[in-house]
Amino acid sequence: MTDFMEISPGRHHGKRLYLACMLWFFGRAVQAAARVDDGVKSEFAAMPDNFTFCLGAFPSGPYMVVGKDAHGRVRHLGSSLADRTIHLHLMFKHPALLFRVFAFQENTPVANARNRLYVLGDVPQACAVVRIIDMVQVFLLPRFLAKRAVKRYPAWPLKRRTLIRAQVYARAFAGL
Amino acid sequence: MVIPDYYEFSSRALIMAGHDALEQIPGLLLSMDAQKPMVITDQGVRRAGLVDILLQALDSRITVKTIQDDVPADSDLKTVHTLAGEYKKYGCNAIIALGGGSVMDTAKGVNILVSASSDNLLAFSGANALTHTLNPLVAVPTTAGTGSEVTRVAVISDTDNLRKLLFTSDFLIPDAAILDPRMTLTLPAPVTAATAMDALSHAVEACLCLGRNPLSTAHAHEAIALISHNLLPVIRQPDHKPGRLALATGAALAGMAFSNSMVGMVHTLGHAAGSVCHAAHGACMAVLLPYGMVYNLHKTQPLLADLLLPMAGADVYARTQPADRAQKAIDWVDRMNQRLHQATAGAHAVCLREIKSQDGKSRVTGHLLPKIAHTALGDGSIFYNPEDLDYDDCLMVLEAAFDGAPLDPSRVKKG
Ligand SMILES: [Fe+2]
Repeated sequence: MTDFMEISPGRHHGKRLYLACMLWFFGRAVQAAARVDDGVKSEFAAMPDNFTFCLGAFPSGPYMVVGKDAHGRVRHLGSSLADRTIHLHLMFKHPALLFRVFAFQENTPVANARNRLYVLGDVPQACAVVRIIDMVQVFLLPRFLAKRAVKRYPAWPLKRRTLIRAQVYARAFAGL
Repeated sequence: MVIPDYYEFSSRALIMAGHDALEQIPGLLLSMDAQKPMVITDQGVRRAGLVDILLQALDSRITVKTIQDDVPADSDLKTVHTLAGEYKKYGCNAIIALGGGSVMDTAKGVNILVSASSDNLLAFSGANALTHTLNPLVAVPTTAGTGSEVTRVAVISDTDNLRKLLFTSDFLIPDAAILDPRMTLTLPAPVTAATAMDALSHAVEACLCLGRNPLSTAHAHEAIALISHNLLPVIRQPDHKPGRLALATGAALAGMAFSNSMVGMVHTLGHAAGSVCHAAHGACMAVLLPYGMVYNLHKTQPLLADLLLPMAGADVYARTQPADRAQKAIDWVDRMNQRLHQATAGAHAVCLREIKSQDGKSRVTGHLLPKIAHTALGDGSIFYNPEDLDYDDCLMVLEAAFDGAPLDPSRVKKG
């Protein structure tokens, strides 16, 4: 059995790089929002300390890992699943399916309803993480894109739309 | 119908439906080489004489090894583990689940353990954790509601940790669902009403929610027609066998629909009310269904309009202006609840505060509504709802449903 076809993982380099960059920046923005936004803060507050979740694509990434440390501080933990206990996985079944979401072709609830991802872990915590992802998307994206990414574009007060959003952006770039 | 870019549908249960369907069980078990079944049921079913009817339908080729009738109203982890022990003790090789949703889900849990020779059900919780076919399981529903006899879902309470464990897998779909009207003939009117409204809510949510697809919608529309045309006649004449069979068929069809497309906020809020106040699931569904339809109206208008045809029939559908059909479908569900309320001498609840326990006490009290709203935010079905819901939205709907007040569509945030 030697003449099987070798499947090369070399295609779609561009999409993979795009996804890796998006997830990297998104992870930093989650960390930033957890510091400055009350809505994101309170979702994290309900989670236990030392809780780690990842968002990514099966079978080999890319991934975004975010966690709460022993002191309750929320941190972006990079893109590797190695040597970590992950308590909650939100895993798309193929990188192309994750790409559809990050290219705004399909939003997360629709992808979920179409069975495009699997969720391993506690369901209430998964609900909270999805709400966090929604809020961070609204912070990061211009309105016309965010409207495609979330079910309902929220009516946030002016301060949250301007000042807090600017802080999320600044901290995400600076990695604070 | 807009075809989604992608969808999945599976429905592999053999349906054996008819006025002598029970008599098909021996041949069925033999064909699966499963002559030594365990019967799982509850005491209410046993008192109603349904176990005797089942045993009479089995013949000498089948040896029922044991009959376990201790399943509580809410399927729980301890019962599942105990029953799995009994299954092994008596050397059974199949399960006949005779009962409502709790019995079915318990039987599914037992079947996971005995098929995998495991003593830890937690290891199999969540989505698609099962990787092998299970032992033969024959489901004989004694209510026409949950649809669990055909679904890929089981919900089992972990009472020690105050949570409900969800199991989903195609392997959980029973090998056969036996729909025999003799099993529902003696069901009291309020239970018939509430369970049928549960089935109706499965069908309606299957049509409206984000996982909808042409196959689930086809099943759901037929389910709505069967339930709509047969529920009141059966309430008025409980021993109406064709009507009973139609309701059982409707519930199974609705089960196939929602097992694939999932359900939304009606179940989100209903599950939460169930776990916070132990309010009966069917009763919650009946009350909350019209609220879920109003809440999602702006996102699902054409889908809702289509429901008027199976609900009210061709005459009413044709007489109603297209623009009015969605609202008319909502009104039709409201009116169905009112009629059921009258036909059951007030036992069928039309608002949350009317949902009573068996000793007549109110299950849902006003001060628990915030807790229900909070719990709802952690229910997975919330994702499948067409419109988003935050805590304030959940509370707004619950407060209206508590008193039976209409939900003002202008108060629904539309983004
Ligand atoms: Fe239900």
